[in-house]
Amino acid sequence: MARYYLHIRNGGYSEDLEGQELPDLDAARLAAIDGVRSLLSEEARQGQLDLSGSIEIADGDGKVLLVVPFREAVELKRDG
Amino acid sequence: MIEKHLLKLRARDTVSPEEEQAIRDSIGEVRTLAADEIVIQAGKVLTFSILLLDGLMCRYKDLSDGQRQITELHVPGDFADLHSFTLKRLDHNIMTITPCRIAIVPHANLERITERLPHLTRLYWFTTNLDAAIHREWEVSLGRRTAIARVAALFCEMKLRSEVVGMTDGNSYALDLTQTDLAECVGLTPIHVNRTLKELRERGLVQFSRGRVTIHDWDGLADIAEFDPAYLYLEKWRL
Repeated sequence: MARYYLHIRNGGYSEDLEGQELPDLDAARLAAIDGVRSLLSEEARQGQLDLSGSIEIADGDGKVLLVVPFREAVELKRDG
Repeated sequence: MIEKHLLKLRARDTVSPEEEQAIRDSIGEVRTLAADEIVIQAGKVLTFSILLLDGLMCRYKDLSDGQRQITELHVPGDFADLHSFTLKRLDHNIMTITPCRIAIVPHANLERITERLPHLTRLYWFTTNLDAAIHREWEVSLGRRTAIARVAALFCEMKLRSEVVGMTDGNSYALDLTQTDLAECVGLTPIHVNRTLKELRERGLVQFSRGRVTIHDWDGLADIAEFDPAYLYLEKWRL
């Protein structure tokens, strides 16, 4: 287990000061995707979706290990 | 030892010296528990109820994919499971969030109270109804409120419940939850909670950091949550 910090970049910056204990970076990526889906589901209910943001996954030293774009969290299907 | 419990009861009704003594006599033993300890497992047959003396506990249910829903938080002075007296086993788990001190109240002693002291029995019936009212309010949050309103409603509720048992310091009180715990209370994810807390902070309503809630604008916070304290039944009433 390690502590991963999942910062949100979408227009502004929402720093994760607390972090989450997760088994590995893969689990942190899944947590990021789950988090983005949660954010987007609320946006969708309000009738707008902004997919331009990303989640920065950092370690305890503040080093960014992975950037997960919001786009990676959803598969978009347009008409037809 | 049961001072906070008495504060909770006396905020709603009078408790006679005889009733107070009966409560004191009903306590079997006192236990100290570590944080994140499962205290009651769903389905297990129970012969006692738990009165929380110090710390923070919760009722919760897990789904098979690891998702957890906390269904109620308990502050000192609450019975975490007075309902187990009549249910005899629970459909949910109960765990500590912080280190806790609990009093074990054997069901046999509660039975004696119901036989001897009808008014105290009604008062305890009231407290399980109060838990049900809290569950209904959380149901409204989980089903209908926006993310920001869910968190705002929880902070309003916990402020008043802490206040009843003398655990607030002006506009501030301890709520020793991680963002993950908070997410499990309001049906969001830690990331979503993080962004929601930022929004509440930037609107100048409330600050949540290191297990402490500081409310800067009660009216604004209550407004966002559409918080109506009626469901906490805070006025005194002769039951």
